[in-house]
Amino acid sequence: MRLLSSVLVTLLALTKISFASSSSVLVVLDPSLNREDYSIFFGGLEERGYNLTFRAPKDDTPAITDYGVPNYDHVILFAPDTKSYAQDITPQSLVGLLSENINLLIALSPKQTPLTSLAAEFSLILPPPETPLISHHPARSEPITTIPVPVSSSSPILTPGIPPIWFTGAPHALGSTPMLVPILRAPAESFAADSTSDADSDALIAASEKSGEGLWAGSRMGLVTGFQTKVNSRVVFAGGVKMFSDEYAKKELPSGGAPGNALFATDVAAWVFQEKLRLRIDGVEHHRVGESVAPEVYTTNDEIVYTAHISAYDSKTSAWKPYSGVDDLQLEFTMLDPHIRTSLPAVPGSPGTYQIRFRAPDRHGVFKFVLNWKRKGYSYLESSTTVPVVPPRHDQYPRFLSAAWPYYAGAISTSIGFFLFAALWLAGDVKGERKKGSKVE
Amino acid sequence: PDRLKFIDAFLCFIVLSGVLQFVYCVLVTNFPFNAFLAGFAIQWQFVLTASLRAQVNPENRSEFKEVSPERAFADFALGSIVLHFFVFNFLG
Repeated sequence: MRLLSSVLVTLLALTKISFASSSSVLVVLDPSLNREDYSIFFGGLEERGYNLTFRAPKDDTPAITDYGVPNYDHVILFAPDTKSYAQDITPQSLVGLLSENINLLIALSPKQTPLTSLAAEFSLILPPPETPLISHHPARSEPITTIPVPVSSSSPILTPGIPPIWFTGAPHALGSTPMLVPILRAPAESFAADSTSDADSDALIAASEKSGEGLWAGSRMGLVTGFQTKVNSRVVFAGGVKMFSDEYAKKELPSGGAPGNALFATDVAAWVFQEKLRLRIDGVEHHRVGESVAPEVYTTNDEIVYTAHISAYDSKTSAWKPYSGVDDLQLEFTMLDPHIRTSLPAVPGSPGTYQIRFRAPDRHGVFKFVLNWKRKGYSYLESSTTVPVVPPRHDQYPRFLSAAWPYYAGAISTSIGFFLFAALWLAGDVKGERKKGSKVE
Repeated sequence: PDRLKFIDAFLCFIVLSGVLQFVYCVLVTNFPFNAFLAGFAIQWQFVLTASLRAQVNPENRSEFKEVSPERAFADFALGSIVLHFFVFNFLG
């Protein structure tokens, strides 16, 4: 009986696995693309608990926002060749959605569309129109615009060991903003050129002789790039939509073996939809050593203890768990300039707690505890707490200075000497009087 | 006379302590300056004792007719107590 009930319970638990507690995703799918062609990707999303709603770019319904309130948590924009959109999903309005904490996954294409200028707003520079990515290596039976791209595991977004993925589309160059997160780079032997006239090698040679100006080649180019905004919403620009398709997920690599398209798409979707690498500060505390409540004011040269609590989102349980894996947190105690800048190490034995003890500087003023941690791929951690630091009150100074003891000793010894002298003098007086008195008598 | 010798001994002691304090101030630090001033001011005790000596000395009887030795000693004691009060206040 007990065995049966435990089996039932485990079955129930297994069926309840959902990685994202009912997030809703709006998929804007161009009518020229077939939904069934992307069944592996969409099916994987639905399996992980996302509710997908499909819509064509020109449709008005379902609306993304109703009177300013978003209806969906995420948007997938698989409309790379569309030139005109319905009113509420023009690329400009999508940027507005990012500040509402809606995440976007956008597929680009070699054609010139409104998405080209949208990508430029995120510091991605696209090559001239109709210049897809081309690679003549490795030797394969597919056309030169279908390229197996090796996946480097340098980004914390991707699980290590993903096999090369098939890619068709346009590369882009990355601008210099630190908010960009490169996910996939073009292979070193690839370049962007007009595919109809076998890749214009003359133009390539001319460009490389001009010291690289106008040369779209090599692994400087990115194929899939993410961008994390200041409110921690994420966008991913993918150079082409075909890499999410079933056909590419099943196509065999020229070197043999299955490609990593499905795995890659899963990882990228997990990052964009805020399942992975999502951190937050649960709270910060500060107080003097030995106390437990933050005082109203601090005094200069106080010993201060600062504690931060950090959690990471665990998508498997849809809960925030304390996270001690940040090993380069920094705390700044700042008044116009950081007077103290120290590391904030994790406390062993206390998950998610980071603590440091330091001495307040010898300056009085209004200071801030500033926690500012920004790393590519991870959510930004920012916190600022303002505290006043006052000079010691008149009775908080040390009472007796050790440097002054010779003077203390001198004055006290003279006082004692005076009292002894006076006592002995008077004793002598009395004796003398007694003597005199006895004499007179 | 004995008494004068006694006063002289006290005077020597005061001078010695004053010299030591001054040497410390010059050589090491005059950081708690108020403490140095207070410690040095106790030297005024020297002046008071010297005046006591002068008034009590039998050889000077001609100069101090209206001041009896007891009165001299009382003046000396009062002045010293007031001096010590101020000095300890300023010592900080």
